[in-house]
Amino acid sequence: MAAGRMAHVGSRRDRGAVRLPWIREDCAVTMALSVGQRIIANEPRRATGGDLDGSRNDLMTKVLLIEDDEETAGEIAAELADRGFDVEWSSNGLDGLAKARDLRPDAMIVDRLLPGMDGLTVIESLRKDQVRTPVLVLSALGAVDDRVRGLRMGGDDYLTKPFALVELIARIEALLRRPPETRETTLRVGQLELDLIERTVKRGERNIDLLPREFRLLEYMMRRSDQLLTRAMLLEEVWNYKFVPATNLVDVHMGRVRHKVDGPDDAPMIHNVRGAGFILRAVS
Amino acid sequence: MAIVPRAGEVIGQQGSKHQMQFIRSNTFHWAAALAALFAAFVTILFGIIYFKIDDYLIARSDRMITTQVNFFAALPPDRRISALDDHLGQDSRGVHFAGIFDAKGNRLAGNVARLPDDLGAGAPVKSVRMARADDKQADAPLVRAVARSLDHGHVLMIGRNVDETRELSRVVGGALALGLLPAFCFWLLAGAWLSVRAQRRVEEVNMRVRRIIAGDLRERLPHRNIDEPFSRLAAIVNGMLDELETTINALAGVGNDIAHDLRTPLTRARLTLERGRTNATSLEQFQEAADKAIAGIDQSLSIVTALLRLAEIENSRRSSAFGDVALGDMLREVCDMYEPIAEDKQIALSVGMSGPLHVRGDRDLLLEAVANLVDNAIKFTPRSGSVKLELSRGEGETILRVTDTGPGISDQEHEAVLRRFYRSDKIRNTPGIGLGLNLVSAIVKLHGFRLIIHSGPGGRVEIICPDEPVGRA
Repeated sequence: MAAGRMAHVGSRRDRGAVRLPWIREDCAVTMALSVGQRIIANEPRRATGGDLDGSRNDLMTKVLLIEDDEETAGEIAAELADRGFDVEWSSNGLDGLAKARDLRPDAMIVDRLLPGMDGLTVIESLRKDQVRTPVLVLSALGAVDDRVRGLRMGGDDYLTKPFALVELIARIEALLRRPPETRETTLRVGQLELDLIERTVKRGERNIDLLPREFRLLEYMMRRSDQLLTRAMLLEEVWNYKFVPATNLVDVHMGRVRHKVDGPDDAPMIHNVRGAGFILRAVS
Repeated sequence: MAIVPRAGEVIGQQGSKHQMQFIRSNTFHWAAALAALFAAFVTILFGIIYFKIDDYLIARSDRMITTQVNFFAALPPDRRISALDDHLGQDSRGVHFAGIFDAKGNRLAGNVARLPDDLGAGAPVKSVRMARADDKQADAPLVRAVARSLDHGHVLMIGRNVDETRELSRVVGGALALGLLPAFCFWLLAGAWLSVRAQRRVEEVNMRVRRIIAGDLRERLPHRNIDEPFSRLAAIVNGMLDELETTINALAGVGNDIAHDLRTPLTRARLTLERGRTNATSLEQFQEAADKAIAGIDQSLSIVTALLRLAEIENSRRSSAFGDVALGDMLREVCDMYEPIAEDKQIALSVGMSGPLHVRGDRDLLLEAVANLVDNAIKFTPRSGSVKLELSRGEGETILRVTDTGPGISDQEHEAVLRRFYRSDKIRNTPGIGLGLNLVSAIVKLHGFRLIIHSGPGGRVEIICPDEPVGRA
């Protein structure tokens, strides 16, 4: 959050058009409305979660948002709806807990400080009931201790306010599409092949020589191909950094990897999403 | 806060009951009690003196009359009477009693009419009442006397009036009254004076404290000489107020600095939005304006975040999350992270260490501190320079050193960096020192380590990790 620039991809429709989160929308209309304004314009729509599970094609991914500030909730819900999620909104902990039990959402976004019942208590009660729904905790408390507590109480990810909407969406998608535990020793994205045992990388027939740190970064990206990976996410997951350094380290590392993966004659696989992060995608 | 209403209460009472208040004051009670105790002791002392002297005088009389009775008894009978008369004749004070009596107790010679019945011949000296033959006084005085049998059944009696001890008690009593009464009064007066004085000082302090509470932080408590407890207390409180005043002034300064630093990007954002709203004619222009505005807002937010983080670390009192940190691995990790950037600037980044060294601390925070130092070093080292991370052992301490071939930190900046966060915050815009170094300083302090910044040329910053950290929370 320091020097690295955050982009806030807000919903840029006029206020009159902000839809209430509990009104289910036609996904196509939403996309049509916002498609021209999207920064991540060419990111594939993932509204149905179809990439993961073909049988659920007709169902939209359901996200439960528990947030007491109406305006914040409105913006988040609108953005999620824009991206094709089915959003349920709850303004307090007790109601949120009830909804979480009834609706069985695919993912939850929970504010820490809530009227009625604290956000962490909500998560704790759900976990006690063996509900494994991935939860993204939102909080105005940025302290490291709070973060650790939030994650220990059953949260899967933690985002400190104020945050960029891109960051929120990226993290929710990451939670929804956690890479499956696999015994595969080779990761493949398009022509790109990464051998976890031999520690070698090939693009087509071309061998790519990577330093260990570059290998780690590419491995993480290949496990999460087609997903927007923000700088903060990469810092946390690849380098285990709990802070954002002053210099834009991620870009430099990414530059190295990209230079090696995308040769001068190749079609690019690593895409820089301006102001947001990076995506690794197979050449279509 | 609890003091405030009570202070007001005391002030309120002082108006009406000021005159009598010293009597109720603790100081006065103590003074009065001490005076009473003193009086009791002096009285007992005088009593002891009196009885001791009394005993001594009686013992002396007894010895004297025993000697006398032996002397007279030894004289031949014909000379005895004239000697006795001589003895009585020489007694100008009239304290001597003597007589020779026949077997029936009738006087043969001497100045006593009858031999007292209870005075047995040959018995030791005892007190009896007897009157002189020529004395018409009603009550016979108390006399120490002894009797001795002579031949023919005669009895010799010698006595001495010990009434003078009573005189002695009168003298002692008089002295006691003369000395003790004024002393007692003096004690009471002194107590009253001390109590009034203490009252006045409390009142004065109270007044000044109320002024301080009202917001006048330049007010100080009065203190005269440093050896008096009250003055020493005042000096301590004044020291505390000095510290508070400095901190609050510094805070006010920080407030202004932060306001300035936040206002600049916010103003830019506002102007951009305003211009965009008026002038933009296409979606692209709108988006460009919005992006610029967002960048400005992000900059403000990043300042707030950095400040909050700093405050979080400074206020953190927990060392329970501390564990064993392998410094070598940590340095290599930081080096690994920064190597590409250093390469881009053609800066040689290297790690040197004498062996595996460990410290107790929070790994994430220490990593952040070292990363900040390296970040700074690379940022301010010109092309083709070098940045070195070194780990070595000193005496009872581990030294983590970051050196670079950049301009280093000038003495002036050096001062500012070592001052407390709030002040050094003022130089946030000075190249070379951002909030980063403040953060490092806060992290180092939290661990009970020391941050040493050497003056240029060439940057050299050391984190000294003593094996027994001091001041760790």
